[in-house]
Amino acid sequence: MALLQIAEPGQSTVPHQHRLAAGIDLGTTNSLVASVQSGMPKTLPDANGEDILPSIVSYQSDKVLVGNAAKALAISDPQNTIVSAKRLIGRSLADIQQKYPNLPYTFSGDKAHPTIATVVGDINPVQVSSQILTNLVERATQALGGDLEGVVITVPAYFDDAQRQSTKDAAQLAGVNVLRLLNEPTAAAVAYGLDSGQEGVIAVYDLGGGTFDISVLRLNKGIFEVLSTGGDSALGGDDFDNAIVDYLVSQFNLQRPLSHQLERQLLEQACKAKELLSSQDSVDIDVEHQANTLTLSMTKAQLNALISPLVSKTLRACRRALKDAGVSIEEVQEVVMVGGSTRVPLVREQVGQYFKRLPLTSIDPDKVVAIGAAIQADVLAGNKPDSEMLLLDVTPLSLGLETMGGLVEKVIPRNSTIPVAKAQEFTTFKDGQTAMAVHVLQGERELVEDCRSLARFELRGIPAMTAGAAHIRVTFKVDADGLLSVSAMEKSTGVEAAIEVKPSFGLEDGDIIKMLQESVTHAKDDIQARMLKEQQVEASRVVEGVEAALVVDGERLLSPQERTAIENALQELTKISQSSEIARIEQAIKDVDTITASFAERRMDSSIKTALAGHSVDEV
Amino acid sequence: MNFFELFGLEADYSIDLTSLATTYQALQKTVHPDRFAHSSSQEQMLAVQKSAQINDAYDTLKNPIKRGEYLLQHLGAELPNEQASFQDIEFLMVQMELREMLAQIKFANDIDAALMSAQESLDIQARQLWLEFEQQLAAKSDAANQQAGETLRKLKFYHKLYIELERIEDALFDD
Repeated sequence: MALLQIAEPGQSTVPHQHRLAAGIDLGTTNSLVASVQSGMPKTLPDANGEDILPSIVSYQSDKVLVGNAAKALAISDPQNTIVSAKRLIGRSLADIQQKYPNLPYTFSGDKAHPTIATVVGDINPVQVSSQILTNLVERATQALGGDLEGVVITVPAYFDDAQRQSTKDAAQLAGVNVLRLLNEPTAAAVAYGLDSGQEGVIAVYDLGGGTFDISVLRLNKGIFEVLSTGGDSALGGDDFDNAIVDYLVSQFNLQRPLSHQLERQLLEQACKAKELLSSQDSVDIDVEHQANTLTLSMTKAQLNALISPLVSKTLRACRRALKDAGVSIEEVQEVVMVGGSTRVPLVREQVGQYFKRLPLTSIDPDKVVAIGAAIQADVLAGNKPDSEMLLLDVTPLSLGLETMGGLVEKVIPRNSTIPVAKAQEFTTFKDGQTAMAVHVLQGERELVEDCRSLARFELRGIPAMTAGAAHIRVTFKVDADGLLSVSAMEKSTGVEAAIEVKPSFGLEDGDIIKMLQESVTHAKDDIQARMLKEQQVEASRVVEGVEAALVVDGERLLSPQERTAIENALQELTKISQSSEIARIEQAIKDVDTITASFAERRMDSSIKTALAGHSVDEV
Repeated sequence: MNFFELFGLEADYSIDLTSLATTYQALQKTVHPDRFAHSSSQEQMLAVQKSAQINDAYDTLKNPIKRGEYLLQHLGAELPNEQASFQDIEFLMVQMELREMLAQIKFANDIDAALMSAQESLDIQARQLWLEFEQQLAAKSDAANQQAGETLRKLKFYHKLYIELERIEDALFDD
């Protein structure tokens, strides 16, 4: 017997109204937008019929170019044309320079918040991503014929907190509502899973331009449970290109540093050679240098020798992910290939050999992520109230705290299903210690210096006690987008400190508002008007949600007095939300929240009971 | 609501893991924040809380050691303090020998056989401890529960040895 079905608490009782939503694959090299139309997920092309938007933004004194228009300037104007901004997002200057020493940009800003100096001023990687998002959202708005309710944006599973937060910041800057940040491999699994309706364990091998992800999932009755995820947030097809460039530089006897133009030219030729060698056995490479043409012939075997160590590195990550999932190679039923770099024959061969089966490539590896994101966006927007689909994702990296001696104590281990909340108790080191420095870290290593610093804050006002007597409870919470918040409390006094973890390498509070005000594209956009609209949308969401809840459960869970009180608050909110007073609307929403808090909780508990009842009836 | 109640179970150590997984999925289908993406912020927050609680409960109940500890605490037993020094000298000696055995694996002539035999030694001893644990629980007395806590503490040593063994295996593969 199937499980009993329960109505979705927030389900609208008004006749079905299709809400516009889209899935965005914000890629390192290319970006796409897709949407579900008449039940079918499709990528949306631009006016020229192109699905793929190169993730390139060129800042010119009179205009900002995005995509192919910007790509044309990548060689002639590399300093103002930003390619692969995704590799820079949420990263410190030191990180960037160590990993990509030959970038053609002039970096400005401080170490933790690097910016790129362009003709229109300093540009943050978040702003670059936001331009790409704006372009795609406009495309979707036109194709779908209306404003989007929200979008699902995909991120590599291996993105850390700073990179996720920065991606969300980019969306905020672009003025789009993010329904969810979704891990790319999970999105790909959704695209394939719904296609084939299969059950069992699948592995998603995702090698993009700048990142590698491996995820192991179990599919069961519409539930996608991520068992483990692993990879490398700084390994991708671009590294194949770089390996070829390094090879060319040594073969041509060139001395670094080279001019930005020459580096770019070498890179383009390397990329072209890699692509051609997918279908032919050798390729001629020509590079113009100081009025000479440098020529070289490269074979597939030479290419394979250059990239083989990189492919092996991905397979080691696969082994670890299988181990973390507690799954053997034999249990894996399918291997899904995602990302343009999986077109490289050596990659397909090695992955096939490792998993002992032919990898799935039936959905275009460039589109599969956007398609999965579109399916999830459609569900989240509320267009499929009967959908059984649910994605249970995990934290890619462990989260912890610095303790005495520069060691990291893990609070949330990697591969914990999100959302997750965990608390752990710590104590003071010295007699009379009245403050405590909380240093939040992400990573698997034991030493602080080997992990990524996410945030620091202080808990002050601890009563002076002997060392080890205070009980400080630190709580880590990771929401469904994979974003972390941390709070600390001394138990005997209740002294408390909390922060939304604003990553050390992301934007500072207030930066977004400032950038919005300064941004050329938003100059005409009145920020006040935007904030008002956001509040009005939230108000109507609240009213709609509570009204629907009253219809379903009002009779059953509320006394007549409680119901009247709620209805009055709703009326008040509806009235006030017509006005243009942001603060009053905000207050009216809070009032409704307060008065419905216990109703919401009762409904949640009641649906849990129903779910349990449905389950145990099923078992009898 | 305690974790057992949350999953509609009696507070008991033996659990049907398949049924636990099914209940988990049914519960998440009801409370996961994705079900509330279109609801008010308040409902979304509540969903995050409930969903996290269910994840925590599932994580605890599906893991034998964590489930054991949770059950003992639920039964009112005080778990041994991790920091307190260990009294069972004999047990510690065995632990040192096992550590030494693991450290020697990489020098073995037949590494696969050495890995296998190490795994077996750990399995046999851990299984014995689990048997003791179940007998102690079955006695249903405060004193026996206290002993069961000590047994779990010993099992944690084995858990660490298993992790160490995996690490050694990983290192051998990576070279």
